[in-house]
Amino acid sequence: MMRRSNLLFVAIAAALMARPGPATAHPAEQGFVLLLPTTAYTIAGTLSVFASMLLMLMLRHGALARFFSSRPFRTGAPLVKMDLAHLSSLFATVVLFGLISIGFAGPTDPQSNLMPLVFWTVFWIAVFVIQGTLFDIWRWINPWRGLAYYLFGDSDGLARLPKWCAAWPAVILFALFQNFMLADVAPNDPPRLAYVISWYWAINFAGVIVFGAKPWLNQVECITVMFNLLSRLRPITSGRIGMPGWQAVTEAPLDTSRAVFCLLLLAAGSFDGLNETFWWLDQLGINPLEFPGRSAVYWPNLIGLYLVLLILVIIYTIAIWVGIAAVRFVHPQHRLRLSDMFRSFAITLLPIGLGYHFAHYYVTFLVQIRVTLATLADPFALGWNLFGLNAVKVTTGFLAQADTVKIIWLTQAGAVVLSHVWAVLLGHRIAEKNCTTPKEVIMLQLGVSILMIFYTIFGLWLLASPKGG
Amino acid sequence: MRRKIALTTRGIKMTTKTTNNAVSRRKALLGLGAGAGALATTGLMPGAMGFAQAQSSAPIKIGFQKHATGIGAAYGRWYDATTTAAVQRINDGGGINGRPVEIVTEDDGTDPSRGAEALEKFEKLHGCDIAFGTLFSHVVIGSAPRAAELKLPYFVVSEGHHVASGMLNRYTLQPGITDVKSQVVSMAPFIADNLGKKVTMIFPDFAFGHDHRDFFTQAIEAQGGEVVAKIAIPPTETSFTRYFPSIPRETEVIYHVMVGPAVLTFVKEMGEFFGPSRPELFGFIDSLEAVGIDSPGLEFLEGSYFWEGMPRHVQDGQSAFEKTYRAAVGCDDRGASLDDPADVSTYAHMFGCWETLNVIKAGMEAADYQGPQDRTKLIEAVEAMSDMPESLDHPQGAKRFNGKTHQVFGQQFISKVTEGKLVVEHVATIEDGLYEDEVDYTTQSF
Repeated sequence: MMRRSNLLFVAIAAALMARPGPATAHPAEQGFVLLLPTTAYTIAGTLSVFASMLLMLMLRHGALARFFSSRPFRTGAPLVKMDLAHLSSLFATVVLFGLISIGFAGPTDPQSNLMPLVFWTVFWIAVFVIQGTLFDIWRWINPWRGLAYYLFGDSDGLARLPKWCAAWPAVILFALFQNFMLADVAPNDPPRLAYVISWYWAINFAGVIVFGAKPWLNQVECITVMFNLLSRLRPITSGRIGMPGWQAVTEAPLDTSRAVFCLLLLAAGSFDGLNETFWWLDQLGINPLEFPGRSAVYWPNLIGLYLVLLILVIIYTIAIWVGIAAVRFVHPQHRLRLSDMFRSFAITLLPIGLGYHFAHYYVTFLVQIRVTLATLADPFALGWNLFGLNAVKVTTGFLAQADTVKIIWLTQAGAVVLSHVWAVLLGHRIAEKNCTTPKEVIMLQLGVSILMIFYTIFGLWLLASPKGG
Repeated sequence: MRRKIALTTRGIKMTTKTTNNAVSRRKALLGLGAGAGALATTGLMPGAMGFAQAQSSAPIKIGFQKHATGIGAAYGRWYDATTTAAVQRINDGGGINGRPVEIVTEDDGTDPSRGAEALEKFEKLHGCDIAFGTLFSHVVIGSAPRAAELKLPYFVVSEGHHVASGMLNRYTLQPGITDVKSQVVSMAPFIADNLGKKVTMIFPDFAFGHDHRDFFTQAIEAQGGEVVAKIAIPPTETSFTRYFPSIPRETEVIYHVMVGPAVLTFVKEMGEFFGPSRPELFGFIDSLEAVGIDSPGLEFLEGSYFWEGMPRHVQDGQSAFEKTYRAAVGCDDRGASLDDPADVSTYAHMFGCWETLNVIKAGMEAADYQGPQDRTKLIEAVEAMSDMPESLDHPQGAKRFNGKTHQVFGQQFISKVTEGKLVVEHVATIEDGLYEDEVDYTTQSF
């Protein structure tokens, strides 16, 4: 028996709502997307990425070195800012505890509880994008750093993290975080989320105590590791300013663990989009119009995440290998190591991950940020109207109008295409650094370029696909 | 957890004035360990929470199983708004048996297993008197057995035939909204008399579509009509052009119940296929619930007919009850949010929440409900209900409750799209939607 109701809904709503950031989406949205000429848009987007590659071919060797150069950026008195950052970080810890308390004791409806709303909407969507584009927001809201600073100052940890572990613990933790987000039955449930975050905070603070804040946060705590990687994409970072990604190309190659982290980030983002498409649900034998709920897809999502990661690692490695082989084909004496190039080009996947993140969560954010603001007016559901935020009305009419849906879709698609063009630029500069002739530069990028073309198509296909899970 | 927070905040206060090694890392670790221990043992853990035992005597607690997340979330939002409005009205009128009503919301994730968990939380964690919700049938079907185990009255608003079919149990009732069988059956007389007797059905190829196919085929035959073609569309289909040539030339009416994101594409392609000369079209508003009927691409639906559970657009001769209800749930004359005219509500269905809560109120008052010990008296009181006149408690129209099948029956609306407005053409009576009882829950013991 199936319910008798609804469903223009199902799929559209699903696109946003099965996500940890549940959205009160509008049913019409995806219906309008299906009416858009998305195939033509996809072709145009892919050609844009291809054109950027051709443009690179015309550049003289080393031309991008200047493009990605940086110069000092003065931001006032750094010492004062440092203390403010610690203070702000300490404040963030207090806010986090407040949110956790609300998670445990506040409203049981996730759409009325600030714990899931702030975590999945403000933090996971907005902070992520800000960190990769605008400024080092994480430095100001890291909930361990300030507390550790005021408690322990600069004292050494009780033990040392072995050097060999690099950022591998963070890779593992980030995979577990993705498990929670993609496969857990109720990542939105306020007490459940509060519980998970409490433990995550406590375990990491224990690590900070034992091993010291800097080593632990930079090697084990996956959010800091992720945000440090994303920081390399910003125009302004480390006190210098340049074209977005200047630090990424300057500091390439990454170590292997961070290179794999980049792959994991992109794989998780890709699977996050893929697992709700009609296509994926069809593979599982699930009717997207009567999606049985997250509890029915726990294992498929878990396995799917790692399968996508595995496939991406294999394809990426092959792409790198193709480039190296092509270089060797034109200059047999130029032997590049696979592991070196694997680590060098990995950072070029990060802009794509960032672009996907923005595109994937854009609609969710537009709706959920209103829910979050409205909830901020009354965190404990006691009838308060703090900051006058009660005036914020949660409506989704903009998703029920063809014109606005088109603008939204093109914004998402634009982000995906731009992120690939950005990746092409970074890739070209990294190739320049590793090659001596223009021909080699082209050859080295052969495989990666093909990968990026297909990833553009894949990304736009994800945006255009009907969704149901 | 609270102990842990207290510990750490004390630590902060102690140490903010100094910057270097103010606290021994070993001591801090011990403190953190104590906090973590508290977290693990105080029961602040999902699933292992110390379920509250106290049964408050003050408010009547109604557990609301909400589709806050998952594929039903768009409905959840409007069901929530309607529920809030209904409870507000009940409380403004003095509550139930002199006690205020409190809604306790739990997200079911539009997921059957979580639906059952929600019921358990209502009973063991929140001390709810009864449970109320929800739309999606699979959640209702997954939750109902737990309701029986917990002996928790479970009032659903799902429209599914699963209640009246005998699939569920005595603790599960559907007194505020009609079921799909009744809705489909009651459409047949109007279609046969006014639109045509040769019907082609286009429906999604899964249980939802199959229900329509089976119930309607039987009903139209009873009216002397026939289904000349049954076109089942795979659920994942997003283009329909290749199916339209299968529509027989003799077709007088197309009965469509397509759902999912491709509905707009379906309508557009059907318009392109038929052009200006088409058979009559009859559909269920479910396809376009919460979607503006005047949306671009839907022009082809002008002059076509839709089932509506409750008319989305204000009709001539609107009753005072409907007017008050519409204002209370925050909808304008076109069934959209008063805050955003583009945000169309799930108007055809959400009245079910309002009416169900009023039935619960009436049932509790009839049973002189005082607490969980009176749950069976409440069920018996509702089972004893029969005719409910149109009123502000029942703004959709009069109802007739069948205590044996735990299912309510009511009038249905057939609206014609006229210049972008859904104008009611016909009202099917309660009698049009009646069918033989398939179960007698009153024979089951509590």
